[in-house]
Amino acid sequence: MAYHYVVTAQKPTAVISCITGNFTSPTDLNLLVAKVSRLEMYLVTPEGLRPMKEVGLYGRVAKMKLFRPPYEQKDLVFILTARYNAMILEWRTGANGELEVVTRAHGNVADRIGKPSENGILAVIDPQARVIGLRLYDGLFKIIPLDKDSTELKAASLRLEELNVYDLEFLHGCSNPTLILIHQDLNGRHIKTHEINLRDKEFMKIPWKQDNVETEASILIPVPSPLGGAIVIGQESIVYHDGQSYVAVAPPQIKTPINCYCRVDARGLRYLLGDIAGRLFMLLLELSERDGTASVRDLKVELLGDIPIPECMTYLDNGVVFVGSRLGDSALVRLAAVRDDASQYVQPMETFTSLAPIVDMCVVDLERQGQNQLITCSGAFKMGSLRIIRNGIGIQEQASIDLPGIKGMWALTLGQGPHHDTLVLAFVGQTRVLTLNGEEVEETEIKGFVSDRQTFFTGNVCHDQLIQVTDEGIRLIGRGPGGWGGVAAWAPAGRALSVVSCGDTRAVAAAGPRIYLVAIQQGALELIAEVCMDEEVACLDLGPGGEEALLGVGLWTDISVRVLKLPDLRPLHTEKLSGEIIPRSLLICVLEGVCYLLCALGDGSMFYFTVDPDSGALTNKKKVTLGTQPTVLRSFRSLSTTNIFACSDRPTVIFSSNHKLVFSNVNLKEVAHMCSLNAVAYPDSLALATDSTVTIGTIDEIQKLHIRTVPLGETPRRIAYQEASQTFGVITMRVDKVEWTGGCGSLVRPSASTAAASASAAAPPSKHAPAPLDLELHNLLILDHHTFEVLHAHQLLANEFAMSLVSCKLADDPNHYYAVGTAILNPEESEPKQGRILLFHWCEGKLTQVAEKEIKGGCYTLVEFNGKLLASINSTVRLFEWTSEKELRLECSHFNNIVALYLKVKGDFILVGDLMRSMSLLQYKQMEGSFEEIARDYSPNWMTAVEILDDDTFLGAENSFNLFVCQKDSAATTDEERQQMGYMGQFHVGDMVNVMRRGALVAQLADTAAPVARPVLLATVSGAICLVVQLSQELFDFLHQLEERLTHTIKSVGKIPHSFWRSFNTDIKTEPAEGFIDGDLIESFLDLSRDMQQETLQGLQIDDGGGMMRDATVDDLIKIVEDLTRIH
Amino acid sequence: MEFLKDLPSYDEHNFTLFNTDHGIRNCSKRPSIYLPTKDIPSEQIIVTEKTNILLRYLHQQWEKKNNTSPKKRDQSHIEQNGDESRPRKRPCLNSPLN
Repeated sequence: MAYHYVVTAQKPTAVISCITGNFTSPTDLNLLVAKVSRLEMYLVTPEGLRPMKEVGLYGRVAKMKLFRPPYEQKDLVFILTARYNAMILEWRTGANGELEVVTRAHGNVADRIGKPSENGILAVIDPQARVIGLRLYDGLFKIIPLDKDSTELKAASLRLEELNVYDLEFLHGCSNPTLILIHQDLNGRHIKTHEINLRDKEFMKIPWKQDNVETEASILIPVPSPLGGAIVIGQESIVYHDGQSYVAVAPPQIKTPINCYCRVDARGLRYLLGDIAGRLFMLLLELSERDGTASVRDLKVELLGDIPIPECMTYLDNGVVFVGSRLGDSALVRLAAVRDDASQYVQPMETFTSLAPIVDMCVVDLERQGQNQLITCSGAFKMGSLRIIRNGIGIQEQASIDLPGIKGMWALTLGQGPHHDTLVLAFVGQTRVLTLNGEEVEETEIKGFVSDRQTFFTGNVCHDQLIQVTDEGIRLIGRGPGGWGGVAAWAPAGRALSVVSCGDTRAVAAAGPRIYLVAIQQGALELIAEVCMDEEVACLDLGPGGEEALLGVGLWTDISVRVLKLPDLRPLHTEKLSGEIIPRSLLICVLEGVCYLLCALGDGSMFYFTVDPDSGALTNKKKVTLGTQPTVLRSFRSLSTTNIFACSDRPTVIFSSNHKLVFSNVNLKEVAHMCSLNAVAYPDSLALATDSTVTIGTIDEIQKLHIRTVPLGETPRRIAYQEASQTFGVITMRVDKVEWTGGCGSLVRPSASTAAASASAAAPPSKHAPAPLDLELHNLLILDHHTFEVLHAHQLLANEFAMSLVSCKLADDPNHYYAVGTAILNPEESEPKQGRILLFHWCEGKLTQVAEKEIKGGCYTLVEFNGKLLASINSTVRLFEWTSEKELRLECSHFNNIVALYLKVKGDFILVGDLMRSMSLLQYKQMEGSFEEIARDYSPNWMTAVEILDDDTFLGAENSFNLFVCQKDSAATTDEERQQMGYMGQFHVGDMVNVMRRGALVAQLADTAAPVARPVLLATVSGAICLVVQLSQELFDFLHQLEERLTHTIKSVGKIPHSFWRSFNTDIKTEPAEGFIDGDLIESFLDLSRDMQQETLQGLQIDDGGGMMRDATVDDLIKIVEDLTRIH
Repeated sequence: MEFLKDLPSYDEHNFTLFNTDHGIRNCSKRPSIYLPTKDIPSEQIIVTEKTNILLRYLHQQWEKKNNTSPKKRDQSHIEQNGDESRPRKRPCLNSPLN
């Protein structure tokens, strides 16, 4: 049996729908955004959009519409999910001032029979909120009359004689709800209206209709009263029709299809239109007055500028529009009355990061720190990009000051009270003091402070004094009646001080090999001990323990760490560090009751030990790589725990969790120095210095994913990493619009492949061939693995589609190659009949094609397999060997698929994912040189991704948004049983999984305590990243009980049962989820109040570690769940 | 441009303090998650009519045919009572016929 845990590491980011309304109060102006199964509520404020609440639904939002019944002060939301759960939601402020979401009405509106419409679900609401209309199945129109007084809203189906409906809307200003629709029959597309009799639940009459509107008419915009009527948007024309008058225009600006619109003013005279190329237009209705009644005289269209490729748009306020996208980042834009420099009326204001759609990804450990990064192929067309995703802690920037050359930084308290009010900055040859006055910062001086030298250390010490250490010695500054002033000083005899560490009552400084211990007293400094080390001191740190503290010292030349003990600086322990890199920073600190000594070296690596506080012995030596530059270790307090900040070119926060050190990246490029800062205006903050700036920020409580974008400007399709050449290979697709500008050539939008440092092409484009309107060009890009600069672009043949990419090392050939599989497309053929496998070598800045193999079909996947190249070509799986003549030669093939779309390999085993015949497992017989089909899942699953979890267990994703796990049963007695894969788990993940890769995003050295194994990362069409891990049966059973309890504690918005949402659901079957734990639900345990946590785990039993069962406590659960949250 | 003049304003202060001096902002703030633990009963249940539309049509036809003689009376009745919308006798549509 196999047990799995699936959890979302990155929630879906694609925007499905957005609406503006007064949701949270009658006066609040809100934006509501639907991202697949999540709703995000924002408040419109003078500062911009303020996030309010995020609500998870147990369903995928298919349609979201706002309406306001006449008796309501606020807008309500109607949502229909893809599995036909309907709900009416209201946002309101609850008793405790918290926003709550009330399900006003809910129910499932699915029919047992009926053919789901190919044009998708359509939902409309009558402008007077009398009825909701749904087109779910062909030939049927479902109405839900909105009857306020009944406890039941009775939905009824009406026969709709138009089968092929493209859009429908309710018209404004009709005494009975009146529908207008665009439908298509053999003669073309037509518009038609239907008046609905709500009492008899039938269509009464057809007030008017218009046959033969434009053949591609697809959008209807109902125009509000008093004008009434509707606008019909076609591919080239726009028509206004209200039954009597008919105004049509064919605006030349519109070249690509319009796919969404939003109304700007309440009268309905202005509309924004967005097209699939990401351009924004305004449509204006021009009126003429006659006898006091206005009618539409003309339609005008103006191009406003570029926006993200829209899925939906909504006008917010004062010319600001939210543009939601499925193909990249969504955005907030402002419409300006005057054009900007780029002659656009649209000004971008804010972007909302979206990874959707993730088409491919690779998991790499670029920094070789054991911490993986995920590089995804995200977005499409002009919004195509690579995203670099890594797990880490975030710094939320509060303020920043431009100050170059900082060598050290400390926060001081000069006034009264617990808060810091001063920041001391050290530079070469000088020290500057900044006063924090509220949020303002100004430069000042402290009497008695040396300002013409570089400070090595300063801080508040005992007896309300300050200490300042420079190369010439230690100064003590006290508070007198006239303010601060120097009270004592101590200087070493001989060499200048180089390093220092200071506690409240003791300072330790080193000059060359000599270490001085100085006691800090009221108004006096007294040297109490002095020792001479074998070598010069490179770094030192005073541990906790006051007058009997441990002192850690790192030495030059012999590269060792010594532990000494105060008060007599008695040597306790010597630890030789291997290598020749000198220690640069040392820290002793206690985390969760364990004393650690950390020593960072000049090359960015770090040793760490546990220290015995009595004997000073260093044990459990471990080494990690934190960066590539000398690292400075500083401890800081955040949220009442001590943590360590490693300042380097890859800043890292080190903290202890369950008595283990966890290393977490920080979302900053580099940090040279840092200190804790707890000022009135910046409580619980950090001050961080880079080469040029000081940033004040707060630190995230938990680590999360950080996303960096490398824009490509064209669609990325596949990515592969080649460590040997330190490059990424990326396949992209670019659409060149051939727009003849005065007959002198085509206009190509700049993108990654056109802006590459060098370029090559498979064949020069023929000059005589007539150019098609849109040219799809596929390129192989070579990108530098650090800078992501496009080093080279190789263009494929004109009608050749690159479909697969792998970096491989074949046979005895020492070179690493990029292998590209292609299909040559002929529009007349139902599937590709030919293609190529190409081998490229990137070496010394040059891309050479080393081999080319013609194949009879499209190459969907390429995998390196036992030093050979494994390819899936149409319905076959084929193995090619690399001969000594540097040719690809077919070794063996397997034929038993419809289309073999996906391949994964492990040892001699090959997992094949088929277009519609689920998964099968092949074994490669090396001796015979042949494939044998060992096992197969005989269910008709349309696969979207597959992965091998272990030798017997396989994970598959299919196109109804489900996951399933199959297992081969090698121990079965009959051949027949062995050949059949058994189902070990099924789960509705609620998103289309495009790619699966083995690996995790958390560092291996983070030693997560959660007992999980074999992580697999999943990426989806809507930009989500999920993690699937294997669990032990004990943990599975325990979490399953918790999951069951949580479904009762946490109430579902929209009242869809959790079991319904997670049940495996396809067109042909629905079965309960099994073998999977819903990690998203489990993790929500941490967000419950303690009382609710207590109530949830009532009666839950836990193994006390010795096999005895006892009642679980809240803390037991928090620990288990927190550990699980750290796996992603 | 006249197209973009007098754009609707709900609250003229909205977006006035939006600062784009430092270029295009990236929205990093996420809304807090709503986790309902209080059971608020739904006021209304949406039920979907199970009757096949053909059966409903036949019922309606049957009703019309059977009501041909008393229909005149009914119509005058409706005219008098204005709002009275339901025939006095109607078939049970939710009967488990299908």
